[in-house]
Amino acid sequence: MGAKVKVPERAKKGEIIEIRALAVHPMETGFRHDNVGRKVPRHIVESFTCHYAGSEVFYAKLHPAIAANPYFVFHTIATTPGELVFTWKDDRGEVITERAHMEVT
Amino acid sequence: MNDIINPDRRSFVIRSSALTGALVVGMPGWGEALAAHHEGVEVTHWIVIHPDDSIVIRIARSELGQGSFTGLAMLVAEELQCDWNKVRPEYADVTDHIRRNRIFGAMTTGGSRAIRDSQEYLRKAGASAREMLVAAAAKQWGVSAAECSVANGVIAHQASNRSTTFGKVAEAASKLEIPKEPKLKDPKDWTLIGTSPPRFDIPEKTTGKQIFAADVRLPGIVHASIRQCPVFGGKLKSFDESKISGRRGFKKVVAAEDWVAVVADNWWRANEALKALPIEWDDGGNGKVSSESIMQFLRTGIDATDVPVARKDGDAAQALAGAAKTFEAEYYAPFLNHATMEPQTATALIKVDGVEVWVGTQNGESTIAAASEAAGVPLENVIVHKMHAGGGFGRRVLFNEFTKQAVRIAQAMPGTPVRLQWSREEDMQQGRYRPVALVKLKAGLDKDNRWVAWHVRQSEQSVATAILPQLVKNGVDTIGTRVFSDNPYDVPNFTDEYAMRNTHVPVGPWRAVAHTMNPLFREGFIDEICQAIKADPYQFRRPLLAKKAKDLGVLDAVAKAADWGKAMPQGVYRGIALSDAYGSYTAAVVDLSVDDSQVNVKRVYVALDSGYIVHRDAVIAQIESGVVWALGSAMLEETTIKDGRAEQSNFSDYPVLRLAHMPEVVPVIVPSGGFWGGVGEPPLSAVIPALANAIFAATGKRLRSMPFKNHGFSYS
Amino acid sequence: MRSPFYFSPYLRSLPATGARGKILANPEMKRRRLLQATAASVALSLVPLRNARATPEEMVEAIKQAFGERSIQEGKVQLDLPKLAENGNVVPVTISVDSPMTPKDHVTAIHLFSEKNPLPNIVEFRLGPHNGKARVATRIRLAETQKVVAVASLSDGSLWSSTVEVVTTITGCG
Repeated sequence: MGAKVKVPERAKKGEIIEIRALAVHPMETGFRHDNVGRKVPRHIVESFTCHYAGSEVFYAKLHPAIAANPYFVFHTIATTPGELVFTWKDDRGEVITERAHMEVT
Repeated sequence: MNDIINPDRRSFVIRSSALTGALVVGMPGWGEALAAHHEGVEVTHWIVIHPDDSIVIRIARSELGQGSFTGLAMLVAEELQCDWNKVRPEYADVTDHIRRNRIFGAMTTGGSRAIRDSQEYLRKAGASAREMLVAAAAKQWGVSAAECSVANGVIAHQASNRSTTFGKVAEAASKLEIPKEPKLKDPKDWTLIGTSPPRFDIPEKTTGKQIFAADVRLPGIVHASIRQCPVFGGKLKSFDESKISGRRGFKKVVAAEDWVAVVADNWWRANEALKALPIEWDDGGNGKVSSESIMQFLRTGIDATDVPVARKDGDAAQALAGAAKTFEAEYYAPFLNHATMEPQTATALIKVDGVEVWVGTQNGESTIAAASEAAGVPLENVIVHKMHAGGGFGRRVLFNEFTKQAVRIAQAMPGTPVRLQWSREEDMQQGRYRPVALVKLKAGLDKDNRWVAWHVRQSEQSVATAILPQLVKNGVDTIGTRVFSDNPYDVPNFTDEYAMRNTHVPVGPWRAVAHTMNPLFREGFIDEICQAIKADPYQFRRPLLAKKAKDLGVLDAVAKAADWGKAMPQGVYRGIALSDAYGSYTAAVVDLSVDDSQVNVKRVYVALDSGYIVHRDAVIAQIESGVVWALGSAMLEETTIKDGRAEQSNFSDYPVLRLAHMPEVVPVIVPSGGFWGGVGEPPLSAVIPALANAIFAATGKRLRSMPFKNHGFSYS
Repeated sequence: MRSPFYFSPYLRSLPATGARGKILANPEMKRRRLLQATAASVALSLVPLRNARATPEEMVEAIKQAFGERSIQEGKVQLDLPKLAENGNVVPVTISVDSPMTPKDHVTAIHLFSEKNPLPNIVEFRLGPHNGKARVATRIRLAETQKVVAVASLSDGSLWSSTVEVVTTITGCG
């Protein structure tokens, strides 16, 4: 699993900023069948979290209806300069993390 | 609909009526002509009436040559009671339809559904408008609507000897509320439905005036030809533009993940440049697949022990074990290409805030969605010019890659219309094929020659997986099992099993889908049983259909029309078969002679019970074209796979039926009424097995696989 | 050099269709953003179940599971989905909730439900005043033509919803 995030490099304190995050993941629903008609087992990202300066600012619980390569756009208020940590956890226990730093003036 | 004016064949102007709000390419003097044209009143969204009493009826579905442009208008006009001679159909504008929350309903033209799915709301549309027009006249006269009569677009109030026409009261009518439940005529009172008025599409198709998507020419237009990875599912690796960029007329190369296109000032130059372009592909791993390897793969489905069951009545295994006589046979059908006379074509124009496309599509909504997604603009910013398609047959109903490709190429040159046309070779080798199938059938008869056991094992590529995955249930393709899972014969122990075997070859709905091959497997097999026990194939079937009145009715009708059982002239043999499909019932008898493996089909009787029919001649034309498709696909057509790619590339190696081989067709329209069955696809389904059974009668050779030419036969 | 087609005046000269009555030649046409255009919103009041609108049972059950017997009102939520999707595999969706997002008045969660997918739950988002704006976008799968329902819960305990129907054009050919 790879991931990509888009966070402004710098923001003014109090500014509402937009964040985009994408993880590479098949989001196999478990409802598809293979080429000889057998069910393909489910394999999905189950949760996505964004922590900013140590606190959770966004959380999503995903079900199979989220399209492959789950993509989210959300907002947060720029407070302190610091790190944003993005975490995706899938139903096989795999975790991917991505980080970004934002300067706040 | 776009009114296409074609002063000369080289350049023409697409004039749009305001009703569809499409591109107007100016020519001097158009402004005035347009203004006059815009005087119509929209009484309801389906019907626009002009002051001169001419009527525009809007059509949501697509004309593919099957007559829907006329038939759907007839449904409205019957209830509207206008002057049919003043009616002109037009395609409902797709963008307008979206803006008005899909007010025209479904636009999809497939599954033999256009008439039967629309008939109720279209008749209501006509009836509502009629009631509004009468109410408006009555209001003007200060009388009650019940005292007024309507005929031929004229509203009359007998008592006061007053009359008026639709054109005069249209505006007043348009202000009234649309009745929700208007009164519909009893079918026995129909005066238009069931007749054969001249079709709107035929004259221009006959004179060559009809503009198809392939004919679109706009000022500044450029042309593109495309190559997709020859091995299905592969990707583009590289290409060397420098080898062709100096060519005359060359404009650009546009490439995507799995295709590359050349744009030039005319299509011939674009295609020649494309042929000269060095291209490298990554075949994606399927470069070794062949028809032989596919056959081995299908065989695993026949031999597998645990296979999903599509239907189970009684205990076929046990009944077979205890049967007095058993029969077994294996049947096969290959991939087929739609071979639409017009290759896949789309023209796209990227504008500042939107995109405009010209496409022969079986579904305007599918096209607008695809263009919107490809261009990355909202639906409302897309204009779709629906063109009459040069053949649909399921190729153009939900596959939009050519539209998306045209948009993608046009994005490389915004402001310039780009006409993408697949070459015939591309069209033949990048099809959405009728799936391949291998089927094993077993039957058991008791000592009295009654058919008591039947087991079918289907090993097939699943078309529903590709087009309607929700119709795959527990590994069973519920489209692919038709003809077996819904078979009408009363056999007490019957099991149908379905082993899905999907290859990398892309598949799609080919006119009649499962009914293009399963009827051969079923009806040919029944014929084998009859032959073995020396039973007449017509008489053998009759008692098995005792509980199925419509199936029996259509079988009896064809047997009667063909005078089944009479002595045939020297050398002439016949075969019979039954099928039901898409809500209708059909049976066929084929009369032919065979001389040294050359088959001369003399006459084909097709009985069709589709309940109500709208345009009689169109139904007959569908029966005739069903015969063309049946005779062609059964004897001549196949797409074979070699090195992961389709081998056949043109009509030279993918032959279709020729005029010289067209037999006399005797259509037998069984007027049972009372329901609305499809007409587009059913007629071909019984003809294929009737042909095979007739060839057996003539030669003793049982044909268990298509095309029959592979058994040494041909048409004479 | 851009061709005159690019700045097509024709796009603006589309007549005001969408209205019955007289059709005028070349009127101005308003272009409305999808956000404002549509959504039939359905009042999802579960106690008692008002509105005879038929919603498949599983979705209703899932909503009940999430929110118990609390009543859900139409409004405040803008559910932005295309009216048509070619095949439903990747459908972009944006949910916005009209909220000041202050500590006293903010959105705490947004749930998305599907009427006809194999499972009724699509996604749940957890939000708070720190978000500044209650606006989330993602991409979803829709198995077939159906309604999508967004429910927002607010810090005062109230629930608000919006419903949009999406037509997948791939259906209707079998």
